[in-house]
Amino acid sequence: MKSIVIDPITRLEGHGKIHLFVNDDGSLANCYFQIPELRGFEKFCQGRPVEELCRIVTRICGVCPDAHHMAAAKAADGVYGAKLPPAATKLRNLVYNAFYAGDHATHFYALSGPDFVCGPDAPPAERNILGVVAKVGLEAGKAVIAQRAAGQRIIEIIGGKKVHPMTALPGGMSKRVSKAEQQEMIKLGEQMVEFAKFTIQILNDVVLANKAYVDLILSNSFTHQTYNMGLVDANGKVNFYEGKVRVVGPDGKKHAEYEAKDYLEYVAEHVEPYSYLKYPYLKKIGWKGFVDGVDSGVYKASPLSRLNVSDGMATPLAQAEYERFYETLTKDKSGKTMVHATLATHWARVVELVYACEATLMMAKDDEITSDTIHVPPKKENFVGEGVGIVEAPRGTLTHHYKTDQNGMVTEANLIVGTTNNNAPITMSIKRAAEGLIKKGTPITNGTLNRIEMAFRAYDPCFGCATHSLPGEMPLEVVVHDAESGEIVDTTYRNC
Amino acid sequence: MTNKPLLILCLGNEIVSDDAFGPAVSRALRDEPDLNRHADILFAPVAGFHLLDLFQGRDKILIVDTIVTGTAAAGTLHSFPAGVLTPSKHLTTSHQISLPTALELGKRLGLKMPEVVDVVAVEAQDLETLSEELTQPVRDALDGALARIRAWVAENAVEDVQYAGKQ
Repeated sequence: MKSIVIDPITRLEGHGKIHLFVNDDGSLANCYFQIPELRGFEKFCQGRPVEELCRIVTRICGVCPDAHHMAAAKAADGVYGAKLPPAATKLRNLVYNAFYAGDHATHFYALSGPDFVCGPDAPPAERNILGVVAKVGLEAGKAVIAQRAAGQRIIEIIGGKKVHPMTALPGGMSKRVSKAEQQEMIKLGEQMVEFAKFTIQILNDVVLANKAYVDLILSNSFTHQTYNMGLVDANGKVNFYEGKVRVVGPDGKKHAEYEAKDYLEYVAEHVEPYSYLKYPYLKKIGWKGFVDGVDSGVYKASPLSRLNVSDGMATPLAQAEYERFYETLTKDKSGKTMVHATLATHWARVVELVYACEATLMMAKDDEITSDTIHVPPKKENFVGEGVGIVEAPRGTLTHHYKTDQNGMVTEANLIVGTTNNNAPITMSIKRAAEGLIKKGTPITNGTLNRIEMAFRAYDPCFGCATHSLPGEMPLEVVVHDAESGEIVDTTYRNC
Repeated sequence: MTNKPLLILCLGNEIVSDDAFGPAVSRALRDEPDLNRHADILFAPVAGFHLLDLFQGRDKILIVDTIVTGTAAAGTLHSFPAGVLTPSKHLTTSHQISLPTALELGKRLGLKMPEVVDVVAVEAQDLETLSEELTQPVRDALDGALARIRAWVAENAVEDVQYAGKQ
């Protein structure tokens, strides 16, 4: 038996390591996905005022500080039993959608885009955003930069800072928005909607028009039938900031729909000795190992999952793209037939990008966001001492759960972040992709390894917050061991 | 307010042990009026595309960060032009784009990118534990880093200047 190690994985946050154990006949025996860890977050939180966590948690992930800020604020709202004024909820929603639009754009153009625009066999030196710009044109690069700037300006207006927002606090927000700022955000929102249309065109022209890519997306190597999880609003539409958590089975049947505070009734965490990162699963079904199907508690929480659990999108252009997505992939535009192709997550992310841009514009036009009443101080008699905040981070359902003493000082903290939800399906996707690609007598090329990486890149994993580790892009090193003797029989380096 | 042509860009994370080196340097330099006359001093817990945003319009940038080369003792200071040595902790981000990619993208898009990007990085001992405390070797490296930064500004400032440290 041989062991193939992919370490570290390129173009995702954190330092993951993949071990592939290959039998002598070339077939794949097993797959292990290891994640390092930043130690002691729960202890770090203890003894701090719960309202302080809203600002601290933005530092545990360099990729989605806004998501942690919002989940922490919602959990702190729960601790104090706070009731938000409508303007505060709308401001949080608005800034969160602006953040989403930037984050999804970054992934599409800088991370997943290179795989499709440049191709999985392109040299690593070309398979990046520069390669995308070279192929698609400078206009794409300028559009991405402008989109990011627009989103960051809205975050700065509402959140106080461009990158790490700091204005959400128990009971609402701490910074008002002026009429002039509202007008500026409307213009930025209009610009973002145009960017969304531009991205749809790029997706059509470069990805969907290429039959080889579409075949790759739909291939069995990149398919898993698991449960799906995501927030939905009162109408069952995708929502990133608020609503109930809905879980739907691979057969399309609803498994659960619950309030954030009840999450422990539905989700538990499995531990494997070789990984720091836990494996959440559906408690009422149970952990059955790394297997898919209705009898396995493994679930996904991703852009594709959110589309799969929802009844559609709340804005018109996004709804049209939702219907096109399902019509193309299932021949049923209603979305009632699930899509299980992991690589379709990239397309789902574009549908969400369109929604985020439209929602930003729609919410910016709401005059209530300029209200003076943006914060209602929590009342002592409403104090609860425990709160759960759930939002949809771009890479999955994000849960913050805090318990405090009677003075609001944190005694316990628990986080289930987006990528953690997907730990089991990522492991399964890597194994499935490897099974389809690694054959006896077929050399393992950079292109082969990149296709394996594509299996988990679709999840947009961010191990920075999943394990509280931090980023670093390094060369890819592949080591093949003879399992019998332990000797290294081959080593491949990829300098990214 | 107009940006100064020189930028001391301190990267890092205040709550991840030695990764708080950048913010510690930023705090130490904030009160040096001589230095602040010639260079902006900025702490930014960011990487990737965000660096591109911060680079625009500057002539020369000195980045302060942490690094793990594995070949030097914790607390060792490294000075190098960006992109030459092992990437420092925040100069690359696998989630977005690396520093060289960010610079190249900026140039191709016609943005004004700095002509010089230098790095002062400290060899870290602990980049895993959530803590607001630097380890002792890295704490001991602070004064040396400040001296290198003052020398860099003196060398790159438009007018001839000398710094004696905090006034």
